[in-house]
Amino acid sequence: MICTTNVTTTKSSAHRALRATTVATFITAAIAVAGCGSVNTTYTRTTPADSAVAAQTRVNDLFQQIFLTAKEVRMNRTKGGPMEVQIDVENNGFAYKTFSYRFDWVDTAGNVIPSQLSVWKVTNVPSGGSTVIRAIAPSDDASDFRLQLRQSES
Amino acid sequence: MRIRSVIVLLPIALLAPVACERARYVDTGSPEGVITVGNVDMQDILKASSGMLESLAETGVLKTAKNKPAQLVMGEIVNDTSSRFDVGEMTYRMREQLVNSGQAAVVTTFGNTPEDKQAQEVLRREKFLKGETSEPLPDPDFSLTGKITQVKRSAGDTKQVTYTFRLTLTNLRSGLEVWTKTVDMTKLGNKNAVGF
Repeated sequence: MICTTNVTTTKSSAHRALRATTVATFITAAIAVAGCGSVNTTYTRTTPADSAVAAQTRVNDLFQQIFLTAKEVRMNRTKGGPMEVQIDVENNGFAYKTFSYRFDWVDTAGNVIPSQLSVWKVTNVPSGGSTVIRAIAPSDDASDFRLQLRQSES
Repeated sequence: MRIRSVIVLLPIALLAPVACERARYVDTGSPEGVITVGNVDMQDILKASSGMLESLAETGVLKTAKNKPAQLVMGEIVNDTSSRFDVGEMTYRMREQLVNSGQAAVVTTFGNTPEDKQAQEVLRREKFLKGETSEPLPDPDFSLTGKITQVKRSAGDTKQVTYTFRLTLTNLRSGLEVWTKTVDMTKLGNKNAVGF
């Protein structure tokens, strides 16, 4: 009985030690991973901007969707006339992310406006950080856009 | 002997398909393309021309021209990098967008070294035949000049190159710079790669 109790106690201690070790390892690993190039961000705006618009996302890469999030989409007309779009992209993962993106602009009829402005561009965002990707429409006729986003495999 | 041959040849046979990559088409400027550290790639040229066009559209500087659409002279754009490429890869893409969308008209018959000497001769002949005052020669609003530079640095085997594309638009009536734009591209690594 005593022996069993002892064994139980030993087991419990071992469990507790194991759990403590696991938690410590996890925290250390999380700090180590998150500490590599991660950033802390401070911002004052807490509500969506006046120019924020609703956007729809079709997800084909779940991991990309989990780690890279489009937080807000804003559209404004520029001084020169064409529309400008700005998208806040946040990296919620533990690693530095490199991704490429491309904007295609469409007119009011929904047709894509072919232009030399629609090219793939590459940008980076550190862990916990955010970046703003922006594009200017090729002409005043453009009223909407489509954004394609591809994450680097490296 | 046969077993030994199999042991030697098997890893080679398994690695062979990995090592070779068949030629295929990719979209021009696609992120799947080859990226080099020491050269300006097609992706860089497309990004530069796109950035320049976006800035021109955003500021609306071409809309301030006397002529509608604005008349543009292509000045000298110097490639001051160690990477050998035709600057026209960038400028012709910009011209395509500006001219075909009706934002600007490029004057190819201007100056002592016109882009289209034949057209300039025809124009001068027509002007001469019709008299001095009729059919004025093109009266451009702006000239576009620029420079592409590089800054190279290295740490151990790792190289870093920043290519800077800068363009300037000068109002030919006032002689003042009315628009300027810089597009940077920094690449870091020690060997070329396929895909970004």
